[in-house]
Amino acid sequence: MLVRRDADDIREIRPRAALAALVVVCAMLVLVGRLYQLQILRGNDYVAQSVQNFRKSLFVPADRGSLLDRNGKTLVDNRPSFDVYMTPAYCKGREKEEVMTKLAVYLQMTPEDVEQMRLSYQKSWVKDRLERFKPFLVEVDIPRDQVDVLEAHHSELTCVDLIPTPHRNYRVGPSLGHVIGYMSEVMPDEIDSSQNDEDDYSYRRGQSIGRGGLERRWERELRGKDGKENIAVDAKGRHLGKEIDELLIPEGERKIDATPGNNLVLSIDARLQEAADTAFPGRAGAVVVMEAKTGFIRALVSRPSFDPNKMSMRISRTELAKLTGDPLKPMLNRVMTENYHPGSTFKVVTSLAALEKGVIGTQTTTFCGGGYTMGNHRWRCDKPTGHGALTVKSALQYSCDVFYYSAGDRAGIDALSDMAHRLGYGQPTGLDLGREISGIIPNSSTINPATGSLRAHAINASIGQGEINVTPLQQAVAYAAIANGGTVWKPQIIQRIESPDGKVLKEFKPEPDVNNGREGKLGVKPEYLAAVRAGLTAVVNEPGGTAYRSRLPDIRFAGKTGTAQVVKLGQKQNLKTDAQQYFSRDHAWFASFAPAEDPEIVVIVLNEHGGWGAEAAAPVASKIIKAWSDIKKQDDTKSMARAEQ
Amino acid sequence: MSMATEKKLDHLNWPLALCTAIICALGVWNLASATKSLPDPLWAKQAVMMGLGVVAIGIFLFVDYRWLQTLAWPGYFAALALLAGVAFKGKKVLGARRWLQVGPMQLQPSEFVKLAVIVLMARYFSRDETGARKGQYGLIDLWRPFLLILLPVALVMKQPDLGTALVTFFIAFTMVMFAKVRWRDLAILAVSGVAGSVFAWKRVLKPYQKDRVLTFLDPAAYAKGAGYHAIQSVIAVGSGQWGGKGWGEGTQNQLSFLPEQHTDFIFSVWAEEHGFLGGLLLISLYGFLVLAAIDVASNARDKFGSFLAVGVAGLFFWHAFINIGMVSGALPVVGVPLPLFSYGGSSVLADMLGVGILLNVSMRRFMF
Repeated sequence: MLVRRDADDIREIRPRAALAALVVVCAMLVLVGRLYQLQILRGNDYVAQSVQNFRKSLFVPADRGSLLDRNGKTLVDNRPSFDVYMTPAYCKGREKEEVMTKLAVYLQMTPEDVEQMRLSYQKSWVKDRLERFKPFLVEVDIPRDQVDVLEAHHSELTCVDLIPTPHRNYRVGPSLGHVIGYMSEVMPDEIDSSQNDEDDYSYRRGQSIGRGGLERRWERELRGKDGKENIAVDAKGRHLGKEIDELLIPEGERKIDATPGNNLVLSIDARLQEAADTAFPGRAGAVVVMEAKTGFIRALVSRPSFDPNKMSMRISRTELAKLTGDPLKPMLNRVMTENYHPGSTFKVVTSLAALEKGVIGTQTTTFCGGGYTMGNHRWRCDKPTGHGALTVKSALQYSCDVFYYSAGDRAGIDALSDMAHRLGYGQPTGLDLGREISGIIPNSSTINPATGSLRAHAINASIGQGEINVTPLQQAVAYAAIANGGTVWKPQIIQRIESPDGKVLKEFKPEPDVNNGREGKLGVKPEYLAAVRAGLTAVVNEPGGTAYRSRLPDIRFAGKTGTAQVVKLGQKQNLKTDAQQYFSRDHAWFASFAPAEDPEIVVIVLNEHGGWGAEAAAPVASKIIKAWSDIKKQDDTKSMARAEQ
Repeated sequence: MSMATEKKLDHLNWPLALCTAIICALGVWNLASATKSLPDPLWAKQAVMMGLGVVAIGIFLFVDYRWLQTLAWPGYFAALALLAGVAFKGKKVLGARRWLQVGPMQLQPSEFVKLAVIVLMARYFSRDETGARKGQYGLIDLWRPFLLILLPVALVMKQPDLGTALVTFFIAFTMVMFAKVRWRDLAILAVSGVAGSVFAWKRVLKPYQKDRVLTFLDPAAYAKGAGYHAIQSVIAVGSGQWGGKGWGEGTQNQLSFLPEQHTDFIFSVWAEEHGFLGGLLLISLYGFLVLAAIDVASNARDKFGSFLAVGVAGLFFWHAFINIGMVSGALPVVGVPLPLFSYGGSSVLADMLGVGILLNVSMRRFMF
């Protein structure tokens, strides 16, 4: 009875069982469909993701190209060192705290550095999950004993990597700081914008990039191309050993060698550079030594400067603040990004303008009675009693102001301006070394009449005062043009770019400075140039010349002293008295070339707030010319010895 | 006796037994790959538990399953007592109290609670006359079974083990479906339940509340960042493609990117190493097992046996469906083991006993 009723009930269950079976089949089909979707339709994506999970790319940093001087002496190269990186994704929570505490001890980090590390860690924790798999730089270039400590504790620091990175080794110290520049960590926006680069020149976090000078200008040539090493890691980022690598990573992708960067051969002569740096006595100023017949730069000093080794990621924030807050502005390249009144060194421009205009002749004389009057204003000469009758040669020799007031007044401001532009003033010279300023060369259209008559402007300009402002580099270009007989050269500092194995990739030839408006030609009659050169030679080599005391016994050189008045500082500058005194002193100039008869080099010295050009600049140029001459003799002997062999 | 035994062996549901054996074998093989990097040979322990299960089934087959009716209430209360024991003396792992230390072994009572609920529900629905009297059950008439389920489910929720609580509830619900409940009432229950939770999720709950719910669903996953488990599991499954990476070659599994690869995420290991074809095979095996169980239910000798089989069918179906759905990213991550695949002694033993029930019911369908 019971059994039969049960049997009936079970019969009633059957439709529900059939329905349930249908539901089960459908549910299983849904699962199969889901598997089909994941494994077949999107399988390739997930394979890629699973590979990305275990594959870790270590970069093999490329050796950055070296910088060599003209004789092949190494100015900048690399030395092996180690950087410490951390990958945020591999240490989280408590582990992160432990690792950071240990690192701070092992690396003897300052609280500032620890704070920086925490900040970098936090920054990685953004929405983009991949970001946290990118290692960030903890400490750059750690000393050998710390490398040993980290290696000994490697197992506790699974998210920390010790990456052998060749680091910049600046062998020249601060003297060439502005020329060479320095390296620092690449900024996030630079990384972003580099991602679009086709040539695979993209940057990644923690890398360094050239800042300033040649390091920045030739970044692409110097950089080379990083290699890659792909290894397999587990979920905790632990390397699993060579065998697993071989199993999981195709052979061709395991290691890709780095391509080293190209070398730059500079026109700088390290010996002359050192001599110039040693010879220059001032706290601030510039020295330019340039080949008169080509425009290649042999030495370049801008003082004060910075130590590229220190600036390259080894500088603390306080040291950096001290550097940028220094009133002498050590980061300023005085050779090309600061301008000054040229003072009497500008008299060569006035001479040429007046000669060309015909207001003076090469032999005609102008009388100096100690002053020059125009209207109701009188301009004094340095020698109150007057120089008497002067030719252009003796006017340069004694640096008579009255001669030039008269010549400038008669030639007019536009003639002065035109001649200045032709010599390379008032516009960038084109030295390929970063930012360059134009200086100021006024003419009748730029002068505001409220600041005085055009004649008064011409009179002030004739001795390089008033509104005239020039850079030391422009002085070098202009004096080279006078010295070489009329070619205005574009200054250059790179001679060759060479591949790592020494093959010449690019050779730089002398180039005329086309910015002067006449395709690099000065366009002045040779006899006018000769007259000016005679005057400049007399400055140094004839008694009474302003630089007579700086003459050299065995090499005749020519030059012009200059003492540029400085705008008096107001009390509001709020400087200490001794600083006030310093900043109100005149700038001392000496613009020269040697040898006087067949000039090979131009030497420009600017001693900021140095006082008299004859005392604070000419002796420096003299020492540099002596050094140049000695080096030349030395090289000649060497090449003769080589020729005899 | 020997004649009877022989006859019973003739009646043994061989397809069901074979299907179970294949799943067990694949499960141990897969577990060996999943635990390759661990020092403990967990696959061997799992095989031993399966062996114990086979012995238990063998003994159990000699007893008529109807005897279970007398065990229903004691079993139910024993299960409740164990759950209470877990609540007070349980071992805490990853924020949840689920295990009970019994001598050298760790017992997970919630696995056996499912069986107790199945037996009790089967007894209830095979004896209750309400349905027969009225012709059909209304929702109101189900208050007693509802209360009986609620108690253990609430205790499991408290551990917290939402996955097991849900599955226990689903199993009981499935059994109710097979009782003569009015279709209309079932539909109302299902639709309002789904609509209510969808509405609550979309409109009522604030984001932080949702986070709390999600965290509650899977605390371990949130400890390591949102959805890490689910993402890695989907990568593992997806990267298996057609044929898989091969036994022991799954990088997600072997390099520990896959979380809990030997327990809840065991299917990801299988799918990564054996691909779509392997996955299809395994899903087919589970499908076959459930369909075989439904077949047992349809041909049982009595209502009790029939409901027992329905319960066990539900047990396998919900575990397999939720687990595979969860590791393939189609369902939220709730910790539910895959029957006979996930590592875990209690779960394996409970599943084997479930199969034993099916075999027992099936074997005695012709005996009156």
